[in-house]
Amino acid sequence: MDKLAFASVATLRSLISSNELTIEEVIDFFIRRLEAYDPQLHTTLEVFDRESILKQAGSGGLLTGIPGLIKDNICMKGRRLSCASKILENFNSPYDATVVRRLKAANAPLLGRANMDEFAMGSSTETSAYAKTKNPWDASRVPGGSSGGSAAAVAAGLVPWALGSDTGGSVRQPAALCGVVGMKPTYGLVSRYGLVAYGSSLDQIGVFSRTVHDNAHVMSVIAGDDLKDSSSLRVEKKDYTAKLSGELPTELRIGVIGNAVDAEGMDGEIVTAIQTAVGEFEKLGAKVKTVNIPSLDYAAAAYFIISRAEAASNLARFDGVRYGTRDKKAHTLTEMYTNTRHDGFGSQVKERIMVGNYVLSAGHTKEFYDQAYIARRVIRRDLIEMFRDVHILIMPTHPVPAFKIGSYAVNSLQLDLQDYFTCPMNLAGLPAISLPCGFTKGKLPIGFQLIGPHLSEGMLYQVAHAYEQHTPWKDMHPEGF
Amino acid sequence: MKISRDEILKLASMSRVALHDDEIEPLAKQLEQVLTYAERITEITADVEEPSTKNVNVFREDVVARQTAEAILAQAPEQESSFFVVPAIIEKS
Repeated sequence: MDKLAFASVATLRSLISSNELTIEEVIDFFIRRLEAYDPQLHTTLEVFDRESILKQAGSGGLLTGIPGLIKDNICMKGRRLSCASKILENFNSPYDATVVRRLKAANAPLLGRANMDEFAMGSSTETSAYAKTKNPWDASRVPGGSSGGSAAAVAAGLVPWALGSDTGGSVRQPAALCGVVGMKPTYGLVSRYGLVAYGSSLDQIGVFSRTVHDNAHVMSVIAGDDLKDSSSLRVEKKDYTAKLSGELPTELRIGVIGNAVDAEGMDGEIVTAIQTAVGEFEKLGAKVKTVNIPSLDYAAAAYFIISRAEAASNLARFDGVRYGTRDKKAHTLTEMYTNTRHDGFGSQVKERIMVGNYVLSAGHTKEFYDQAYIARRVIRRDLIEMFRDVHILIMPTHPVPAFKIGSYAVNSLQLDLQDYFTCPMNLAGLPAISLPCGFTKGKLPIGFQLIGPHLSEGMLYQVAHAYEQHTPWKDMHPEGF
Repeated sequence: MKISRDEILKLASMSRVALHDDEIEPLAKQLEQVLTYAERITEITADVEEPSTKNVNVFREDVVARQTAEAILAQAPEQESSFFVVPAIIEKS
């Protein structure tokens, strides 16, 4: 039965519909996978008890019997939610996030809560207050982050799909480091209702899977307008698998972002893998040219300022009054606030809140926050302008392959710069998908990004799928699982 | 860019975060690093005219969604009848 571990959603669905497997057997199989391998990988913070999962299992939906994991910053009614933070140790979600409501309506069995960087702040899943997730390709290395638990679980065949969230690259970077597909949709395509806010103008929920088709399938379930999220876009529900023919759209023009591929600090093996992938697109009939977008080199700086500012404001609600933990020894209200937040938040979260309050405080707003907003508009304008000339942009997802746990302990700026290639798309609200495109000599996965205009997910999936069908990467899985 | 000890203490107070003495120096260094990096932003914003924003209000019907108060109150670290309990705000004279 182990070949089931890496079976596609489509395969699992047909096994269920032809009665070769029951929903219960599939769910039990993946619960056993998690029981067997999660003690070493730490992809989850909790696997729910079997009875409660089965109670929610129904039939007839798009994801009947196809289990998934949910990043621990997305609310599932009656389940715990911690954002991998001590401050939310005992929190129970009082309601379902819109994406969870849609998954349940599609009969998706939700098996557990995926580990993450605390409050989604990090690129390695090392800031989780509970566990460090290991990369299934090399357990001494990080899975990326912040949605590292989701990425690692999908890569190791512990679940066929998982949800993550992407504020500056938190779906795409771990997808690349774990060798799976990660999609961050257009800002507003997927409702954020029930997603614990980090940087509200940047946050989007995204999907992890091992194949492009599986990703498009799950996206078809969760995407769509929601009145409970005022930033959600008025778009019709759509089947994102409809255009997956294995062929590129005719006359496809691709721009490779030269100043990203040639950026300082880019790993040579990653550059070669991306160049090979670009060659593959040419073979498939695309017209490829190199473009330069100099403003992208300022995206990380703008992202640092905007995300920290929004985090400082969003995380003000964790005050030890209405939920979460509290310093019980404090005598005054202020002491209770400050001690609760000191003990409840990890150091990365506190640093980001303080950077945020710095750039928002009187005297610094003009110098930092206002400038970042102007830069954001410049970056957005420059990216959108590119789409007059090309249909799709290609750039790296990550500058270096999965790194050793603890490598950036003394240089946190270098760790923050993991967002360099991914955060421009959050600033511009553009959809981007990270796809596997090879391995380093040391057998670590390499990924690259396809970026399209707003709401071009259908085309992105089609292009990604065509590439995937003509390359061997989707059939490569880590050993030992 | 240099962040002083006093600035860190002021930021911590604004952020409602207590700081232990040995946490101040490393935090100042980290803030300096991030903010120094962020300063480069002005290199692309210097000659840009700020375009007007096109934000729109989004409304929905104001429908009451029933939540039981108990479920919400049960999340609180301390509660009594239908209230959240916090340490005394006004000191007894």
